[in-house]
Amino acid sequence: MSKTLSEEFYRLMEQLQEVDFVLVELTLYLDTHPEDYDAIKQFNEFAQKSMVLKQQIETKYGPLQQYGNSYSGYPWNWDQPPWPWQM
Amino acid sequence: MPTNRKYYRPYIGPCDPCPPIRVKSYETPPQLYLGFQPYGLKQFDPSTALRKGTLWPALYAPYTNPYEPREEEE
Repeated sequence: MSKTLSEEFYRLMEQLQEVDFVLVELTLYLDTHPEDYDAIKQFNEFAQKSMVLKQQIETKYGPLQQYGNSYSGYPWNWDQPPWPWQM
Repeated sequence: MPTNRKYYRPYIGPCDPCPPIRVKSYETPPQLYLGFQPYGLKQFDPSTALRKGTLWPALYAPYTNPYEPREEEE
């Protein structure tokens, strides 16, 4: 994990935050609108986008989550800085 | 959609040491007037949605400052 964080990292993380926020909003919306087909289509589209973004970030900058939600680098590096509040 | 601001006149006691505030106001969120959210509402694009805090402009309700320029209020 590079000590000084590159601009690329921040850009990718911001995109991931945007996509994840849309997913949060759509989840809340779909809880009360289960038959809204367009919203579900949009939800799946953003879920796919989020997976792609996470995969990009994790291959370059290490795992984002733990307990099998992210692949680990070698050596075991999930506890490497930066942590979310240090980014 | 700017939330409509409601006003009320608090009771002013006779022995009130400070100059009384005669009219007070509070913001009411848009979801009170929306009822069941209609389908296919217009959406923000993701980056503004993240900054504004909601995906739907209709539900965007910043707490405007009542003491800012008066003419801003509706």
